[in-house]
Amino acid sequence: MANKRNATMNVALITAVAAAILVWRPTVLINGLQSAGLYASIAIPMGLILGIVHIVNLAHGEFMMVAAYITYMLCAATGMDPFVAMVPVALVTAAFGFVIYKLTIRQALKAPELNQLILTFGLAISMTQLANLLFTSQTRKLSFDYVSASLDIGDLSFGVYKFVYIGIALLMIVGLKLFLTRTTTGKAALAVGQNPRGAAIVGIDVDRTYGLVFALASALVGMMGAVFITSASIFPAVGSPYTMKSFCLIAMAGIGNIPGILGASILLGVSENILKAFRGTRGWADIVFFVLIITVILGRSIRGKKA
Amino acid sequence: MILDIKKLETGYGRLQVLRGIDLSVGKESVGLFGPNGAGKTTIINAVMGIVKPWAGSIEFEGTAIGGKPTHFVARAGIALVPQERELFPGMSVADNLELGAAYVPRGKPIMAQQLEVVLTLFPILKERYKQLVGTMSGGQQRMVAIGRALMANPALLILDEPSLGLQPSIVAEVFDRLSILKKDIAILVTEQNVRESLKAIDRGYVIENGAVVLEDTAAGLANNPHVISAYLGI
Repeated sequence: MANKRNATMNVALITAVAAAILVWRPTVLINGLQSAGLYASIAIPMGLILGIVHIVNLAHGEFMMVAAYITYMLCAATGMDPFVAMVPVALVTAAFGFVIYKLTIRQALKAPELNQLILTFGLAISMTQLANLLFTSQTRKLSFDYVSASLDIGDLSFGVYKFVYIGIALLMIVGLKLFLTRTTTGKAALAVGQNPRGAAIVGIDVDRTYGLVFALASALVGMMGAVFITSASIFPAVGSPYTMKSFCLIAMAGIGNIPGILGASILLGVSENILKAFRGTRGWADIVFFVLIITVILGRSIRGKKA
Repeated sequence: MILDIKKLETGYGRLQVLRGIDLSVGKESVGLFGPNGAGKTTIINAVMGIVKPWAGSIEFEGTAIGGKPTHFVARAGIALVPQERELFPGMSVADNLELGAAYVPRGKPIMAQQLEVVLTLFPILKERYKQLVGTMSGGQQRMVAIGRALMANPALLILDEPSLGLQPSIVAEVFDRLSILKKDIAILVTEQNVRESLKAIDRGYVIENGAVVLEDTAAGLANNPHVISAYLGI
């Protein structure tokens, strides 16, 4: 009962804050939601491997960067639209992820978790530097007409294209929920995450399941890499801030809570945009993320101690 | 012969635990007795591919399974109820049971039928069908673990200390259910509770220091002076 009342109060509070921001500065809410969609749709694939099968991948953003470069080359060479290119790109990154898993991460799973951290951090650096060698550090950008689509409501005018990221995040949440609760492979993935020994005993090929989930997450983040180039320019280090942000959004939502990632992203996106709305605090927007993560983790630790 | 182990030697790291075990299970139920650290669980771990054999052979229905990965052994038709149960705590009873059959060729086609068998054997699981396993009591979790193993329609059911941590009334219940099962399935069971388990088995081995020191029928073991003084405490 207490939980239900808490949830109702939270919803009421959030609605009130959202309404206040909407009246005060509508663009803050709009931009906030749009960047939240981007954060969430990049973090959700990481939430899948970290939260469900407990593999730490610090090269997550770099997987997206690699996918973005592949998409860039594909689209620049053939004139293909990124939304079409995301299908072959997702297949390529899935295969790439599976190979990376088999060659490297698999070996680190039996060792303490710190090894995964160091290994994938090394992978991230290697991938960034390889991109640097192949493509130089020059930024690249493709332009598409539909990105500048805008909407006028009264005297308010804003870009609507980036709402596509919210759609993608919602699709991922629903899709993963169905995968994990309705399919045998999804249930096997959950089982492997909760108890790898128990999973092997009932005949689940644990190694193959890890590989499949890793490939699936790589495909999803690859897809995001393809869509990412429609609205942002890319360079070799473009992925690493997203690794950090994804990691922290997952920690804020609570490990294993995939829908919560969208909530955490909205909190982050809107807060950043509140600061960006003022000339004086514009440069401080990046600090929001660190303040939020420290507050949430501290809060949770203190509450945990009390309980 | 369903399970045939010959001259099995294995251990952990450099520590040798089993020193040449010969053991077989036909269409019967077989008990493994012995003190803590004698190697009972290690025999099971070797059969399930959790530890690799150093020497000797393990055959299941005529196929060599020694050193094969655990999921291979499980798919071949051996189901294990581990000491620590090894369930999926964040999933429902229904999902735990389903996963017991989903990857085993001899269990998957008759999943609905096996579910009926398990829910008849353990009616409590029918009541708790949608409950998360992690929120259930130890005794109920033991029943989920046995139920999950039965879902695979195994040719051989292995139970490692099924009565561990259970209150006596539930122990009696578990062995009661095992007596029903042994008509259809070969069973290999390790037990500290020798008195209860002698009622449920046909034949038994006494393992001490990684070797078989005694092998006899249940009646023979119950009357053996060594078993009486060391395990029945009379």
